[in-house]
Amino acid sequence: MKGKCYIQGMAAISPQHTFEGDSSAQPMVAGSSNMLSCVEPDYRTFIPANSLRRMSRMLKIGLTTALKCMQDSGIAVPGAIVTGTGKGSLQDTERFIKEIRDYEERALNPTPFIQSTYNAVNGLIALQQKCTQYNNTFVHRGFSFENALLDSMLLLHEGAENVLAGAFEEITGEHFYIKSRIGQWKSETVPNNALHEHFSPGTISGEGAAFFLLDAKPSDKSYAAIAGMKTLYKPSPEKPGTALQQFLQQHGLSMPDVDLVLTGSNADSNYDFYYDVLDGMLQLPFKHLCGEYDTASAFALWLGAKMVKEQQVPAQWFPMLQQQPAQLKNVLIYNHFFGEQHTFMLLQSI
Amino acid sequence: MEDLKQKLKVQIIEALNLQDTRPEDIDDNAPLFGEGLGLDSIDSLELMVLLERHYHIKVEDPREGRKILQSVASMAEFIQSKQTA
Repeated sequence: MKGKCYIQGMAAISPQHTFEGDSSAQPMVAGSSNMLSCVEPDYRTFIPANSLRRMSRMLKIGLTTALKCMQDSGIAVPGAIVTGTGKGSLQDTERFIKEIRDYEERALNPTPFIQSTYNAVNGLIALQQKCTQYNNTFVHRGFSFENALLDSMLLLHEGAENVLAGAFEEITGEHFYIKSRIGQWKSETVPNNALHEHFSPGTISGEGAAFFLLDAKPSDKSYAAIAGMKTLYKPSPEKPGTALQQFLQQHGLSMPDVDLVLTGSNADSNYDFYYDVLDGMLQLPFKHLCGEYDTASAFALWLGAKMVKEQQVPAQWFPMLQQQPAQLKNVLIYNHFFGEQHTFMLLQSI
Repeated sequence: MEDLKQKLKVQIIEALNLQDTRPEDIDDNAPLFGEGLGLDSIDSLELMVLLERHYHIKVEDPREGRKILQSVASMAEFIQSKQTA
């Protein structure tokens, strides 16, 4: 991908206090189960009550994050709305399916069906902001956010301005149970603040939304530049190592030039070996903060951009941090989703 | 009839998640759409589903639906006419 793009505004709702106030001053939220849930704000300050009453949780989380992001950037009507989600509103999907069974395919309520469609959040953002521009949602499992970001970067390259890019995901008790049957979660209960002390099969689940207002030109308020992104699908164990070297070379960098790597390491002994390619680099994991989900890389991008802007790692969220990095000029994100979809993203200071 | 209207109001509040509305806030004859409760077209579909689920009445003709869903009183009259038919 040629050319950088710049984060002009951003917002995140996550299992941490990332939405309101000075998130750097907030302590880490520690859960007591393997299912991390978002810290939700008061939606009434963002969404009219008459609209709010019909929205399910995911729609409220997604729409509110997008609105806060636009508020942060000072842009009310974006040039495009591009999002990614692995599963959309699970709560609505489950409700709709249950009603099909309970009412024998008759008397079906339209609301959960409408809201279970993946592009419902995009539609709400467009309606609320009266935005009639390009509008697209990518649903590609562990690459959902990456493809939304790639599309956003291509739009900027073609001359679009102020592209709103984002991702949203939720977990429900039902879905957690289904995925536990295929061994995605740890069999023992592990609190998120002790995740990296429990190296065993499976991980903890999570959810969240993160939105970014992107532009091709930097400004005084830019958080960071997204210098590049590379994705690998089901690579061999050796492939990420060579791909990383090439990726850094393409940006005129080598491994010692990277000040910090945010890794998707999630204490899952089945797939953690991929992160061995980062040996020798300063690394910090992020999934003890947000849990594992299809679009967790969007949370990593929010976290990385915040660190680059503030030139500081929020120490209270990273008990494993021994020393603050001397600088945060080049921050690499390496994440993969259960060993299948791998992503490198490079953030640079302005 | 009064009992039916009261029951309908509770069902409408629940089905449409009208969080700050109590049954006594809904006037029997006030329009449900536009003014009054300010409901919209999705709500009208939800009310059709309510009639089917709770009263086993299916409204086949959309033009008929407009008249039936005018107010709580018109809904109650329609339900009663179907039940006595």
